[in-house]
Amino acid sequence: MTLGARQFRALLLKDLRLELRTRQTAIAMILFAVVAMMAFQFGFGFRVDDTTPLAGGILWATLALTAVLGVGRSFVPEREQRVLDGLLLAPVSRSLLLAARAASVFAYMLVVEVITVPLVTVFFVQDPAATDFALIALVCVTANLGIAILGSLLAAMAVFTRARELLLPVLFLPALLPVIIASAGATHAVLGVSDDMPEYNGYILFLLVYAVIFALVAYATYDYVFDD
Amino acid sequence: MIETGPGRSIAIWGTLTAVLSAAAILGAFLVAPEDADQGVIQRIFYFHVAIALTSMVAFAVAFVAGVLYLRNRDRRFDEVGVVSVGLGLLFSALTVLTGSIWAKASWGIWWQWSDPRLVTYAIVVLLYMAYFMLRSSVDGERQGRYSAIFAVVAFASVPLSFYAVRVAQSFIHPVVFTQSGANMPNTMLIWFVVSQVAMLSLFVTLLKLELLQRRTDRALNELKLRLESVRPL
Repeated sequence: MTLGARQFRALLLKDLRLELRTRQTAIAMILFAVVAMMAFQFGFGFRVDDTTPLAGGILWATLALTAVLGVGRSFVPEREQRVLDGLLLAPVSRSLLLAARAASVFAYMLVVEVITVPLVTVFFVQDPAATDFALIALVCVTANLGIAILGSLLAAMAVFTRARELLLPVLFLPALLPVIIASAGATHAVLGVSDDMPEYNGYILFLLVYAVIFALVAYATYDYVFDD
Repeated sequence: MIETGPGRSIAIWGTLTAVLSAAAILGAFLVAPEDADQGVIQRIFYFHVAIALTSMVAFAVAFVAGVLYLRNRDRRFDEVGVVSVGLGLLFSALTVLTGSIWAKASWGIWWQWSDPRLVTYAIVVLLYMAYFMLRSSVDGERQGRYSAIFAVVAFASVPLSFYAVRVAQSFIHPVVFTQSGANMPNTMLIWFVVSQVAMLSLFVTLLKLELLQRRTDRALNELKLRLESVRPL
């Protein structure tokens, strides 16, 4: 294993180990997602007979809000316990710090999705098919890439600002709107009576392009976030 | 004499803007032919599209200034960035406003979620308002750095937003509303070009004016500090 890979592994394991010991972030994210789904149901779910066409939108609006919560939370130990000072002093490239943080956010999102996707289908979809889950899993993975990369970059900046908890959603959500549009569209395409595969494929491709573009932006700018 | 150089340059740009704007207004309202389908409301096109494109130019300027600031740490690029984003935001808000007026006149509703351009501009306004939120909650050298990074991120997400909104709509509405675009006759095109150049010239004038004001302000502060340091106790 190369030095970079070992460093990445150590950084990622640090985050995951911390989460396994405290279990703060993932559980709070899951609870938040369930409450948000219920808010959607009480907000407009009652007013339609069949909520299936709304399910994709409800799922991804919920997951985007949950992502903001999780990304913001993931930087708390860095700030409160001065972990970041140690990390920045260590001879590790900044890009690896970003990659490891994105990987841990990706993992948190995956845990949340394992719970929320079945819940959304139970709550909002009439007769879900088993194959739909595999297709939605792919949407989750591709959407998470963009969410994790962009979220890690913006949260790293927000952590040094005064109104950090308030600022992160304001910075992150408008930039996440394309992900909500595409992943809700892809989910909707497969949840209907007949799967619309060209539409689904188009959205998946878009989510990949989104992830690649922000990976490049993050790679080019991340060094400057910690350039003190 | 105070500020002869920059003052003169702004005066030239200001005069140019005034002349071009007057020409654009006269041309768009009195000279250009009336659209056969839409009638008089189509004349908003000369300003609406020119404003919209100018706002994109402003954000592109902010993006380039952001990249240059990150590379050189020259404070002037930070100033160009923040002023450009401010002006771009103003032009975007005007785009949404004029677009909404146009939508009311031609489609009968103030807001049309299926028009990708209008919806993208609404997202863009939100994105760049966040730029100022970020800027106001960081101080010192970090302020310029974070603003520059966010200007890059926001600019990257503009085409993504547009594409996502457009693709989503094309699946719901097979026909996307199209404007005359390059299909318009030359008598219309010429007044559009005049209006576009007038808007760009307005952008440059406002940019220069605001930069001059910021630099004067900074020079004044430095002067005050120097005076305070030599003042006898």
